[in-house]
Amino acid sequence: MTGENRPRKLPLWLFWSLATIALWGAWGLVSKVASAGADPYVNQLLFTAGIIPLLVFVGLTVRKQEPAGKAQSAEARERRGQGIRWAFFTGILGGLGNMAFFQALVKGGNASVVAPVTALFPMVTVVLALVFLKERLGRVQWMGLGLAFVAIYLLSA
Amino acid sequence: MQLWLGFAILALVLWGITGVTQKLSTNRITSARSFLWFCWAMMALSAAVLLVARPHWGLAPLVVACSVAGGALNGLGAWTSFRALESGGKASIVISLVSLYPMLTVVLAVVLLHERLTGMQMAGAVTAIAAAIMLSLEAPAKAEA
Repeated sequence: MTGENRPRKLPLWLFWSLATIALWGAWGLVSKVASAGADPYVNQLLFTAGIIPLLVFVGLTVRKQEPAGKAQSAEARERRGQGIRWAFFTGILGGLGNMAFFQALVKGGNASVVAPVTALFPMVTVVLALVFLKERLGRVQWMGLGLAFVAIYLLSA
Repeated sequence: MQLWLGFAILALVLWGITGVTQKLSTNRITSARSFLWFCWAMMALSAAVLLVARPHWGLAPLVVACSVAGGALNGLGAWTSFRALESGGKASIVISLVSLYPMLTVVLAVVLLHERLTGMQMAGAVTAIAAAIMLSLEAPAKAEA
């Protein structure tokens, strides 16, 4: 086999993207199995326990990359504080969303239907970004928004 | 409306809002630090759950394992999606690609949990994934003169 014919290595970004699909795809499945016995409150507690090892790992990485004690301007500190507050708010909303997702499974929704419905969350994001961040929507996004409503109707049938 | 659908739409709305708040966060701090504070918020929410709700315990080991695995899989998925973006993947391609994840859930649920989809629901699942991909494609910037 010549060098030119040798298969190319999988690009790193593609590897991480496929890993994401595998991890989130499996999450829907294990959540359905858990919903047979746990309520959303217990699931939230156990779910958080599952995140702790990653929290420790990312915490150590951040500490290594961004050592504390670096002098910052008041403006930079304020910007950092805002970023942290938005991240914290994201976590609270994300956690409440997880509880609602789990309750949908507890209430009898099949994983094969609940996962595609909830994966349509970008429809809310693009509308909010349009209204509050004054972002433009492309024609394809408008079509996607319309298609999302059709999908919810079909999935709930 | 069926109860499960109401909760699924509530999750959709809450996660949809996080799409904006996450952007507001990562415009100001790194994605790693943002993820860290996301996790701290999850801990705070869990503490509030312990105070307010009366969790029901006495669970089967499989249920406990699946709940814990759910957190690990979800968190790792968020981390790998950040890595994909930081490894040179274009946001429009990476986000479109990872939008395919419900397809895997559908396949796994049908094969392993023996769930059955009606023809309408199957069409809905395919439409939902197509819609999620289309929604993730940002409008192209105007061509420079």
